[in-house]
Amino acid sequence: MPPFTYDAPLAPSPAGFGPAGPFPRANLTHTLDRRWLHYAFLSRDGRRSLVANAAWLGPAADAGDDRERFTTILLLHERGGSWSSSQFNAGISAPPWSAFRLPQAHGEVGKLAIGARAGAPAVKLDLARTSRPCTSQCAFFGGKHHLRWQSETGVRATGTWDLGAGPVDVDAVGYHERVRGRWGWPELGEWVFGFANDLAGDPRKPPAWAGVFTFIRPIADSRDTTASFMVWRDGRMCRHFPRRNTSFAVRGMLEPDALTVAPPLARLLGVRPMSAVPKRLAISARLGDDWAVLDFESEAAVRIVIPSETSLHAFSVHEVVGPCVLAGCVGGRRFEIETRGIVEFSGGAGGD
Amino acid sequence: MAIEAADVLVETIEALSSRAPAVGAAAASALGGTRLNLFFGDGSEGSLIASRSRLVVGRSAIDATVDVHFDDRALALLFDAQRRPTDESLEGSLDVRGPRQELLAAWRCFSILSQRASGMRIVQAIWMRYRAQARDGRWSGRVDKPQPRRRRRGNGKWDESRWPALAYLDDRHPAARELIDKNEPVLAPARSLWNGREGASWQDQPEIFDNDLHETLARCKRRVVDEVLRLIPRKAPREDLYELMRQYVTREGKGLRPTLTIATCMALGGRMEDALRTAAALEFFHNGFLVHDDIADESTHRRGLPTLHEAYGVGLAVNTGDAMNLFAVDMTLSNLESLGLARTLGLIHEILHMCRETVEGQAIELGWIRRNTVPRRDADYSRMSTKKTGWYTCISPCRMGAVAAGETDPARLDGFNETFRLIGIAFQIQDDVLNLIGETELYGKEPLGDLLEGKRTVMMIHLFREASERVRRRMQKINTMPRAEKTQAHAEEMLAAMKKAGSIDYAIALADKLASQGVRRFEKDVSFIEENPAKAVLRQIANYVTTRAL
Repeated sequence: MPPFTYDAPLAPSPAGFGPAGPFPRANLTHTLDRRWLHYAFLSRDGRRSLVANAAWLGPAADAGDDRERFTTILLLHERGGSWSSSQFNAGISAPPWSAFRLPQAHGEVGKLAIGARAGAPAVKLDLARTSRPCTSQCAFFGGKHHLRWQSETGVRATGTWDLGAGPVDVDAVGYHERVRGRWGWPELGEWVFGFANDLAGDPRKPPAWAGVFTFIRPIADSRDTTASFMVWRDGRMCRHFPRRNTSFAVRGMLEPDALTVAPPLARLLGVRPMSAVPKRLAISARLGDDWAVLDFESEAAVRIVIPSETSLHAFSVHEVVGPCVLAGCVGGRRFEIETRGIVEFSGGAGGD
Repeated sequence: MAIEAADVLVETIEALSSRAPAVGAAAASALGGTRLNLFFGDGSEGSLIASRSRLVVGRSAIDATVDVHFDDRALALLFDAQRRPTDESLEGSLDVRGPRQELLAAWRCFSILSQRASGMRIVQAIWMRYRAQARDGRWSGRVDKPQPRRRRRGNGKWDESRWPALAYLDDRHPAARELIDKNEPVLAPARSLWNGREGASWQDQPEIFDNDLHETLARCKRRVVDEVLRLIPRKAPREDLYELMRQYVTREGKGLRPTLTIATCMALGGRMEDALRTAAALEFFHNGFLVHDDIADESTHRRGLPTLHEAYGVGLAVNTGDAMNLFAVDMTLSNLESLGLARTLGLIHEILHMCRETVEGQAIELGWIRRNTVPRRDADYSRMSTKKTGWYTCISPCRMGAVAAGETDPARLDGFNETFRLIGIAFQIQDDVLNLIGETELYGKEPLGDLLEGKRTVMMIHLFREASERVRRRMQKINTMPRAEKTQAHAEEMLAAMKKAGSIDYAIALADKLASQGVRRFEKDVSFIEENPAKAVLRQIANYVTTRAL
């Protein structure tokens, strides 16, 4: 698959009402400018997981020109095995599918193909929205750094999936996110982020319940900490528990054998070790009579090593897959689902 | 019941001896031969002397060279970290009388105690009790002003109705079968990342080292036992194998080996996780050896509970011990992914050496018992003890911690040998003494069990060397009796003979001498490690043996 470059300006909206998305029509001019589209899917049978990221980055500091950079990485996991990863130069169909490219009706199918240059891992998926996104959120930290993101759960994905042994059919449901901003990895510090969809139920309908949480903790100033926990019901976000009303706790550590390093090149570079990934994560939230608890258990993790523009230490994103329980009560409606989720434990660029 | 000031000092010194041995030993060294009489403001009195690297406090005056008169304010200077010395130092609070050199020695001793011990939680707890009964202002002459009640901010409902994630993990899902089934840590507590107000990094590892050695030992043991439990499967044959293993490894123990391994690894720049599986492998080996050792010695109790063969029969016990040794190998090999091939091979090399030394030591002792011989020289005991317990209790844990940190220089690895050989022997002798004179609840074995087993201890060797021919023949006869025929009366007869021959005092003195030598060697042989908190823990452990209460 030829590498996709995003040199061309974003296409105008077919409806003619300004930019079609997923991002504003503005060039990335600073080295720390970033935009990305994030995809994470779990197959309905709970066996397979997919994480992919297509990122636009500002011009490299030493490049001598103002060209944007573009990277894509694809990671696949099959239960009982380890994660399989492309390098950062995976090919992606153009333009990358996004739920935030408007107009886009529910149920309208879009194509997304991502594949490693080596041929595997690779996926060819038909994606369709079933739900609506949360309101856009923003974290401001370190005085001049910011990160803005918007999430949508319940994205349906059907198609094929290839780990090198030939394509297999996949029916998955997942999560899509757009992120943009300008930040340095050391200033950002670390985050714990993740989601869980109800994998059961009618595949044509949105998941009955879904949850997305974010915890961003800039190292320099703890007052900049951001935390939120959002709950979706039947495709609509029905409760946003804000920073003060959430709590996060971890316990234990994942067996080191359950951790893979990605992209494969990173294994050759001798990056310094990271702290062990927590074995268990619990999140609780309460607002008035509404409450929610997410209890996640780490099963297998992949550490994506991302070079940092402003420090010698790399920033690492641990994509962790495992079973979880999402329970709570919103608007007097009690729910409890047993499902699987994907959690990110990130950090490590500081302390240089 | 009211606590007197002298009691406070007694409790404080006792707490220091066990929880910060290096501090106690340094203070004892500073005090030297100076003998103090202490007179307190509330009329109580006591004495303080240094004996075998320990501070010993008495509750009555002695023939002393220095008299120290405290009032409560001066006492607070020593240990009460909640009072700032400058606020409390009032003229006439402290009166010290005696020869100049000895006054200075007393002052140096008190300086060490006040600087190093006052921040310890256990010391603070003792002083808190004392302060609580002295709320009449006698304590400092200062009355705390009533503080205005602070208005609570934020969502008031949160406090009453919250389910913090921390409580969810720790309380709503307490350590139980469910956690074990999930291969989750049972003993390691959960950590809060965010409680609505304060954040912490998910990368922060729980603190391992504490200035209180008891705390450090307990923490290291908890982490390692969790790792051990994680590896034991929950499947059949559960009742006859895995459950026995699980029960056995969670029995009370001091946590000395895990702490040595983790502290050495971290002292050399490694991470705690690097040493965790190695320490867990050592625990498996140790427990496997204990199960087999108890069968060979026909012991009835271990760590305060019946030995495995007593409770479940010899067959199951042997098999469980074998399984523990097998799991130890498995645990060592599991380092391949995290530590790499070179370090794992280094660890295997160390383990092979340790096991060989241990089985040789066991063979020497069992041979003595079988032939009913008692060696005449202490050197024979030292050799046997080093092989049987010294290697796997002290030397190998340090060497393996170093290997896990990536240390490969044989000269540096050998730097741990002599120090921890001496400390290991001293520790073993003290253990043997405790079996004779210690409380069963504290020691965990049957009382006088070593005498019933005919164990060749330093005391027995001394007894056979020093006793008259008649006593020796009688003791020989007791030793030749089968274990089942020996009664408590036989053991007590032998104990009386040992006391008469001065064997116990001799053993205590020998242990003290060896431990002191070990501490000196530590400073010399391990000087290649730069000073850091983990090395301080190793130093505390080295001193732990010198200040153990016997």
